[in-house]
Amino acid sequence: MDPYKTINCKVIKVIEETSLIKTFILEPEKKFSFATGQFIQLTMPKIGESPFTPSSSQFAKGPFEVTIMKAGRVTEKLHELKANDTVGIRGPLGTSYPLNEFEGKEVLLLGGGVGMAPLRSLLLTLLDEKDKYEKITLLYGAKNPADIVYKDQFESWKKRGAEICRTVDAADNDWKEKEGVVTCLFDDYSVNPKNGVAVVCGPPIMMKFGTFKLLELGYAPESIYLSMEKNMSCGIGKCGHCGVGKYFACKDGPVFKYSLIKDIEGIWE
Amino acid sequence: MEQKFISNEKVKALTKKLIPDYEIFYPRRQEESWDWARMEADSEFTFEGHRTVLPLKYFFYSPQENLVEKKKDKPRIIFGARGCDTKGLSLLKKIYLEDPEDPHFRKDVLVFSADCTTHHPDCFCTVLGDQPWATENFDLNFSIVENGYLVSVGSDAGAKFLKDHGGFFESARSEQEKSMSSHRTSFEEELKKFNGNKVLDLKDLEGKIEKHSDVFKEYGKTCVSCSSCTNVCSSCFCFFLSEGDENKIRYMDSCQLKSYARVAGGANPREDLIERFKHRFTCKFVYRPQMQGFNGCTGCGRCTAGCQGKIDFQEVLIKVAEAK
Repeated sequence: MDPYKTINCKVIKVIEETSLIKTFILEPEKKFSFATGQFIQLTMPKIGESPFTPSSSQFAKGPFEVTIMKAGRVTEKLHELKANDTVGIRGPLGTSYPLNEFEGKEVLLLGGGVGMAPLRSLLLTLLDEKDKYEKITLLYGAKNPADIVYKDQFESWKKRGAEICRTVDAADNDWKEKEGVVTCLFDDYSVNPKNGVAVVCGPPIMMKFGTFKLLELGYAPESIYLSMEKNMSCGIGKCGHCGVGKYFACKDGPVFKYSLIKDIEGIWE
Repeated sequence: MEQKFISNEKVKALTKKLIPDYEIFYPRRQEESWDWARMEADSEFTFEGHRTVLPLKYFFYSPQENLVEKKKDKPRIIFGARGCDTKGLSLLKKIYLEDPEDPHFRKDVLVFSADCTTHHPDCFCTVLGDQPWATENFDLNFSIVENGYLVSVGSDAGAKFLKDHGGFFESARSEQEKSMSSHRTSFEEELKKFNGNKVLDLKDLEGKIEKHSDVFKEYGKTCVSCSSCTNVCSSCFCFFLSEGDENKIRYMDSCQLKSYARVAGGANPREDLIERFKHRFTCKFVYRPQMQGFNGCTGCGRCTAGCQGKIDFQEVLIKVAEAK
């Protein structure tokens, strides 16, 4: 099998999340499944490829969702996609969230900005088997209310049993929730590090201070899981681009236990 | 396995016979250096000499190639590959052929290596504790003896080749085997002496690279991030996957280029040139042995020979490895 071959997907629907972020609902032409946390390479023919973690539940049948922030050459082109267009995918690639290690525990998801995309996949996957987990919590921060992704979905996640706290760095007059960086959510939310795991995804600076806060609260480095964004190109551990110290983020990650990479210089850059 | 002998005349006759069925390359002398040349019926060749200017790796994959199913090319035979290049294949095969296998890394290349009889001024395999002859990843090895070559088998494919072309080979005599051993020993001694009889202990390099980062600051001053060192390296494997008009294209990439580790949005963990220069050593002597089990350096010295900033990579390595 050629790991560089793509599977064609039909764009079913495009949802505008923020001015820079869109969610694409994609239907693969061939059988395709993934484990939550794994990523795919999305191919724009003649333009290039970019790595994304699907944002839908791993249990969802048929189409899956990818949330994409416009950040460069490839994502600019991806944002031009409309319903019925075709796009290529390769994958699933890399490691997933180890759900079996989460069973019976309080699972805390700490997300920032578009880093909510992989966490949404995890959250929906966890909620699909809610009884397996002691508690499911999402602490989410965005720059401002307009930059929050999946705006209309938080209520339904709450109804399905997730505890959710949100904050924005800069509030507007209508904002009724917390104001401040994401770690300020811990001021009002008590965690249970002894029987808990935490999963962090977001911009590097947010992941750094989020992780340090979790350690301060008593989470063991083995109980903190990070989704690392690096320059994945081949996605199969050959091209070398996505090095995280001695590891390749595409193959040994993108989901890493913090204990595995905590001593590596520059992981937050 | 039993060793064979092939005379100079017979090896010429053999290559002539092979030309219709194989694409064959050999090291051709160009004044003081050696380059790869395509074997033709009238090619004059000898397997004397040392490593070529370009590494062996590009016979297994192309520096830039379309990743489409290719029409079946003729299988390849590479004569005269040196020990440093065959050693470099260990890491390349680990990366490209395992988990998952890369179908574009050629598996139809027979490597007929040859013992070094001379060395380039930048050769330093002995400093890494290696020998100037092939010890792995060869199918047949040719050692120069009187009037011909002593041929050793390195793989099943090599053994099959010998069987299929048995008429060109004869049983080796014990004095030919002795001659090979003594040539090897004396040339290894010569190269060791040239390199100051130094053999580096690379075990504690991880801490030393960080502790002595001033060495990289000093030597990296003249680095211009041109990527020559990685392009000519026997074991650098990095590439970039891109989109062509109808298919994926891969081209060799280099950790020495500024754009190498940059992610969408512009964040770049190795924006600083000295960090990139240092990273290449860490990758080769710390990360790859830890993760793939092989050093990413075989002492071929091509990085030094090709460096636009005249950096002596061997000197950098020695300076760090011997620091307290």
